[in-house]
Amino acid sequence: MFSIRLALKNLFRQKRRNLITIFVIAFAFFGYLFVESIMNGMEEMSFDNIRAFETGDIQIANSEYWEEREELPLENLIHWNNELEETIRQNQGVTGVSPELKFSANLNNGIDEMGVIGVGAIPERYNEVFQTKDYFIEGSLSALDENKAVIGKRLAELMDLEINDYIILLVRTKEDTFNTIDVEIGGIIRTPNPMLNNSIVLLPLELVQQRLNVDNGITMISLKTAPNQEETVIHSLRNKIDEQNLPISVYSWRESAANVIALSTTKKSGIGSIMSVVLLIGMVGIINNVILSALERTSEIGMMKAMGMKEWEIVFVFMVEATGIGILGGLAGCLLGFLGVYWLVNNGFYLEFFGDWSQYGIPIVDRIYGVWNYPAFGYIFIMGVFVALLSSIIPAYWAAHKDPVEAIYHR
Amino acid sequence: MQKKTKKLLIAMISIFLFITLTGVVLSQMTAEDIIQRRDDNEYIHTSRAEATMIISQGGRRIEKTMIMYSLEKDGLVEFTNPGDRGTKYLKRDDNLWMFFPDAEDIVKISGHMLEQGFMGSDFSYQDMMESDKLTELYSFTLLEEDTFNDRPCYVLEAIAVPGKKVSYYRRVSWIDKERFVGLKEELYAESGRLLKTSEVQEIEEIEGRWLPVQIIMENKLRKDTYTQFIINEIELNPELDEDLFSLQSLR
Repeated sequence: MFSIRLALKNLFRQKRRNLITIFVIAFAFFGYLFVESIMNGMEEMSFDNIRAFETGDIQIANSEYWEEREELPLENLIHWNNELEETIRQNQGVTGVSPELKFSANLNNGIDEMGVIGVGAIPERYNEVFQTKDYFIEGSLSALDENKAVIGKRLAELMDLEINDYIILLVRTKEDTFNTIDVEIGGIIRTPNPMLNNSIVLLPLELVQQRLNVDNGITMISLKTAPNQEETVIHSLRNKIDEQNLPISVYSWRESAANVIALSTTKKSGIGSIMSVVLLIGMVGIINNVILSALERTSEIGMMKAMGMKEWEIVFVFMVEATGIGILGGLAGCLLGFLGVYWLVNNGFYLEFFGDWSQYGIPIVDRIYGVWNYPAFGYIFIMGVFVALLSSIIPAYWAAHKDPVEAIYHR
Repeated sequence: MQKKTKKLLIAMISIFLFITLTGVVLSQMTAEDIIQRRDDNEYIHTSRAEATMIISQGGRRIEKTMIMYSLEKDGLVEFTNPGDRGTKYLKRDDNLWMFFPDAEDIVKISGHMLEQGFMGSDFSYQDMMESDKLTELYSFTLLEEDTFNDRPCYVLEAIAVPGKKVSYYRRVSWIDKERFVGLKEELYAESGRLLKTSEVQEIEEIEGRWLPVQIIMENKLRKDTYTQFIINEIELNPELDEDLFSLQSLR
């Protein structure tokens, strides 16, 4: 009891130094919680944007096409017909089915040309799966019904295009022969997914099929499922495909977004590194603090030992003091972290302020918001206290191990 | 005397018939004959050439120099101008690779990248890939006879043979009637839109063949852009090592 009282008293003896150590730990914890919240927010928004604008919840494609889908080939296509659509829609949990034909093209405005990805789609079907219709600046998705094109705002700015302008898309047919699609721009979109804003041209499916000489071929079918029904639908679709021996495969959006998920995994290891740095900062602060305390109290340690205090009791005093600093630093860090994350969750910040992140494969534009991760608060607090406790043992033992006579007369 | 007159008459008729018939035969050359003659004249088995490419885009002018080697369907291009020195392109059959000395890396050009302009020019990578004889890829029709730069020409229309992989669905070519060298060509998309035109500005007789040595290519989808391709020096049928057309030689 005496040791605990002495340790608590010691905690307030060097107020300035202990306060600085507490602040260092608090800021390190705050940094971790803040960055962790941004990273998780970024991941959540990236995944939402991919599902809402690029892949839907599930995608169906020929397995050979899937392997080479990045190259946008016009081989191994799916033959789209009512029968196939009916087979897919019969699955419970499927709420939207959108066929699409993706192809590479050169967008030409008469002065410049730029490589883009063309997507042939049926507006009503596309609306069942994707949220693009809510992000039109000008025109609407019904432009596709009028044989017009829809492009992203960023692309329009880059190519100096406006609504009702005419564009020429230079494409290659299935036989690799050049063909052109001459269309009027009937809609301009600005979605939270930069991929759509920067490089996608939406066109009517029939027109694209005709210009690419692919008959009723499509590259993929995107599906929307009822909430939490994704796995069930994938399972039942796979069974049906096996039963009917269809030459297609079913993929979760996670497989489509493998690159972003890989980025997210890298991000998690990044958070791990930040955690290590944070704990290292705490450790260095605590060790430094205990060594300085021990040096200052060398005579005191000698006196206490001479009066019969045991070594483990002296170690205990230093450990309690260090743990106290850890607890105070942790609490302050969690409080600062709470305020920072609260601001991130409610206000967020403009990602564009830090440049165009879409070039690094992060499908987010505009504001980025943080997310709450309550376990992270508890985890970092416990880890902090534990590290403070552990890192004090060696310097405390070094202080306690001093010879009492030498310690008293150390000056 | 009568006999002499008769012989003379027969000789004159024979000469007249020969000239007339030869003329008829020449004027009745089919489109396939014409294009075959052009292919025979222009198709080069092996060559080494030094060339300059001048890219003009809206008042901007970029000049690139290169050394080109060709051996049947294989080709190697090495850029020699200061900005691109060491950049190489290797074509082997239907594959194209590029080597950038700064990155020290070999990149395969495939898929949609083939549609891009070769080093920013109006020639696409795909244009470089077409080394097969045109007679194997297109069916030809003789449209008319015309003149181009005061040279009498056959005007031929070529439509892609179904199933053959060609870049341009339709080509209209002006072929010199005497030298069997292509002087002008219009390249069309399947939709009928004119994509590019190429015009020969200068031809030269090299080792008994008339070859175009200065060509201008215009991209008709873009304004104020054209590329001039000038062959400064060409050596036909030189001794070339096959190893020159290997990926190892790119580095």
